[in-house]
Amino acid sequence: MKRLLNAAAGLSVIALVLAVSPLLAQKNKGGKIKASAIQVEMIQSDEIKLPAEFQVALYEHLIRQLEKSGSWHVYRDGDRNATGVDGLVILQSTVRKFKEGSERARQVTTVAGATSITVHCQFTTPDGTLLLEQDVNGKVRLFGGNLRATYDFAKKATHIADENFSTPGRGN
Amino acid sequence: MTSKSKSLVVAVVSSIAVLLIPAGSAQQVSGPFKVVQVTGLTGVKDHTKGSLDVENGQLHFVHSKASFDVSAASIQGIATRADSERAVGGTVGVMTMAAPYGGGRFLSLFRKKIDTLTVQYRDSDGGLHGTIFTMPVGAAELIKKALEAQGARTTAPGEATASAITAPSATPPNKEQNQ
Repeated sequence: MKRLLNAAAGLSVIALVLAVSPLLAQKNKGGKIKASAIQVEMIQSDEIKLPAEFQVALYEHLIRQLEKSGSWHVYRDGDRNATGVDGLVILQSTVRKFKEGSERARQVTTVAGATSITVHCQFTTPDGTLLLEQDVNGKVRLFGGNLRATYDFAKKATHIADENFSTPGRGN
Repeated sequence: MTSKSKSLVVAVVSSIAVLLIPAGSAQQVSGPFKVVQVTGLTGVKDHTKGSLDVENGQLHFVHSKASFDVSAASIQGIATRADSERAVGGTVGVMTMAAPYGGGRFLSLFRKKIDTLTVQYRDSDGGLHGTIFTMPVGAAELIKKALEAQGARTTAPGEATASAITAPSATPPNKEQNQ
């Protein structure tokens, strides 16, 4: 019985190592994925009805924050210069949840009227291999207009990118 | 606080509200329009005030330091939407939150109606840009029609959502100038 348990445990470890190894192969010693540039695709919102200004604000703030981090060369959706760039990462974002609050309700009550957006971010290679995916949330609870939630999302998404990717700009 | 100073605070808050409310509702619609560039124009700070006009096939934004043109032919999508903003906004708006007796919250109740104009366009490399303007009520629809007449792609009324404005991957040439 003990032997059987040991064998099962050994097999589980081997299976786990085999499953994780493709992801590990793309990472360097610091546990980060190597990349040199990022191309941000326009935010998609097929299932959720998202006002156009939110879509554009999400996209523009994301680009601005990635550029501000200084570690990436950032390409826009459709930019022909991104073709053939070595170490290019594509960022695809899809809105999963959206709740438009009310600035007036926020300022009058201080507890109601929050705006929140949940965006599913996928970092892939140009051939479509998934490198990283994560849901990122943007919120505005008290100060600022509803569009400020898009800025909050952009800051968080940039932080995730910086934490998980190693770029020449940062020298790690 | 004495009753005299209380009544002074109430009088100040009321007079600010009275002064601002008519200004919000009596906005005229005649181009060029006074707008606020919320975000998106390269090299222009967010929330920059300026004027917006359509002339010679260009969407022309001018502010105190520079001007910015977007060719109508490069525009991939335009969406308009009615919105509102605080009558007392910006730093002063935040400072009023500290006003005693809920004076700031009282001021938050007063809002002015505005239009939001969202434009998506491609630069000469095919890169997709988006920009958002806020402007007086009625102005966004006029600008949209003017751009449409000059060859810009627009979304149909009531379809001003993200899925409707999503730009196709085709990349026509455009002129983008940041002077």
